[in-house]
Amino acid sequence: MGNEMIANGGVEYVAASYIITWVVLGVMLARVVGSVRRARSEYAQASKGEFQT
Amino acid sequence: MAFRDDVRRIRAIVWKDLTTERRSKAGFNSVASLGVTILVLFGFALGPDAQALRDAAAGALWLAVLFAGVLAFNRSYQVELDGGALEALLLYPGARWAIFAGKLIANLIFVTAMLVIVVAVGIVLFQVRVPEQWPTLLGIMMLGVVGIVALGTFYAAMSSRSRAREVLLPLLLYPMLIPVLLASMEATKAFLNGDLLNASGAWVQMLSLFDVIFLVATFLAFEYVIEV
Amino acid sequence: MSPAPASSFAPPKPTPVWLGWLTFAFFIFTQIYAVVTSPADAMMGHLQKMMYVHVPAAWVTFAAFGVVLVASLFFLWKDDERADLLAASAAEVGSMFCGLTLVLGMLWGRPTWGVWWSWDARLTSTLVLFLIFVGYLALRSFVEDPHRRGQWSAAVGILGAINVPIVWMSVKWWRTLHQIQSNPRGLSPEYLRGLLLNVAAFTLLTVWFIWKRYEAARLERAAEHASQAAALGGYNG
Repeated sequence: MGNEMIANGGVEYVAASYIITWVVLGVMLARVVGSVRRARSEYAQASKGEFQT
Repeated sequence: MAFRDDVRRIRAIVWKDLTTERRSKAGFNSVASLGVTILVLFGFALGPDAQALRDAAAGALWLAVLFAGVLAFNRSYQVELDGGALEALLLYPGARWAIFAGKLIANLIFVTAMLVIVVAVGIVLFQVRVPEQWPTLLGIMMLGVVGIVALGTFYAAMSSRSRAREVLLPLLLYPMLIPVLLASMEATKAFLNGDLLNASGAWVQMLSLFDVIFLVATFLAFEYVIEV
Repeated sequence: MSPAPASSFAPPKPTPVWLGWLTFAFFIFTQIYAVVTSPADAMMGHLQKMMYVHVPAAWVTFAAFGVVLVASLFFLWKDDERADLLAASAAEVGSMFCGLTLVLGMLWGRPTWGVWWSWDARLTSTLVLFLIFVGYLALRSFVEDPHRRGQWSAAVGILGAINVPIVWMSVKWWRTLHQIQSNPRGLSPEYLRGLLLNVAAFTLLTVWFIWKRYEAARLERAAEHASQAAALGGYNG
């Protein structure tokens, strides 16, 4: 019976840790993809400038 | 001999730095005063109970030395940069590590002088019982100062030439100093508690090991840091 | 065309798109698999499930820092700017996982030990590693010249890597409170499979994140170089 109590306790901590992990990974994903996209357009613009001269 | 030349270079840099410092006493006086002021503030944070003060004395002393010492490290390069003297120093022939050794020894003398003042005041303020073997205590503290100054001189070579040098040096330096500070504080604390070189001895051995590791690492890495 | 003086100025090959899809699909699978298949632990109950995020995050933190160390050493040895950009990318990803590891550790520590934090060797050295990551990234943001930034941050990265085991050793000496190293062989197989799968998934995630960050860093340098060349009138006659 004691086991039952322990086994059901702390579920909110488990849920919190998974949610935090997914949020952090999601933010990282958005940042990484965004930075690549920005850098790619930056490069396209810069190299276009080179060809114009 | 090449090595004799390096020793001459080191001596010249030490002498130059200390002379600059001696001519403008303002630097040393204000840094030492700051160290004492920090001790007073720790007194308010930890006191007024005499036993609590005595227990915390070792930690407070080291932090006061650290916080005041950080100002000295940036200054030691700042003076050079203001006059554009660092470039000239780098243009002279000879090994780069000699510059680091010179700066390190000058800072060592500077911080040791400050440490003597801070410790003297700290013993009074924190009601520390001075142990019989106080020369040993000074030896322990010197080991700690070597570690702090080696890393401080090294990181200041970078931070002093970057933007935001005031915040960058502590940000880089303090995490690196944790082992040295921990060992110094514990060795000092054990010694002050009269535990003559039993717990203290183990910490002193560790501290010596850390000093050797960080001295070797900073000497090797300085070449890359000062080059550009 | 410009003669492309150093390979670091050429735009990089894009990170394979399939790797990204594979990584995230695998990650979602391993997370669900581990949570669904693991029975409640006799001692820790459902708290055991935190292992599937905390342990892999800790592992990839140290792996990313290993990449920083190796890339920094390679940069000082060969003076190849790409190694410096790789070190910076690994440091950014590693610092994120390091922060995540610390937060997850606290969330695990609170219900099991009753405290959010304890000053033991592993926690403290992970925290110091995080501070070193922060200092490393701050240094990079405060130095403009790329060569200087590369050499300085390599030095900071290498000294930081020397420091972390020393912190671990000294804190262990200072205070050893609890638990022995959690040993995967001591785990029963139904936990172990989930753990290993998640470690693999987090490793893939880290590789992909670092790769993408590296691609962005290379593109930025290539763009800087291209605009400089354009400002000089262009090499292309």
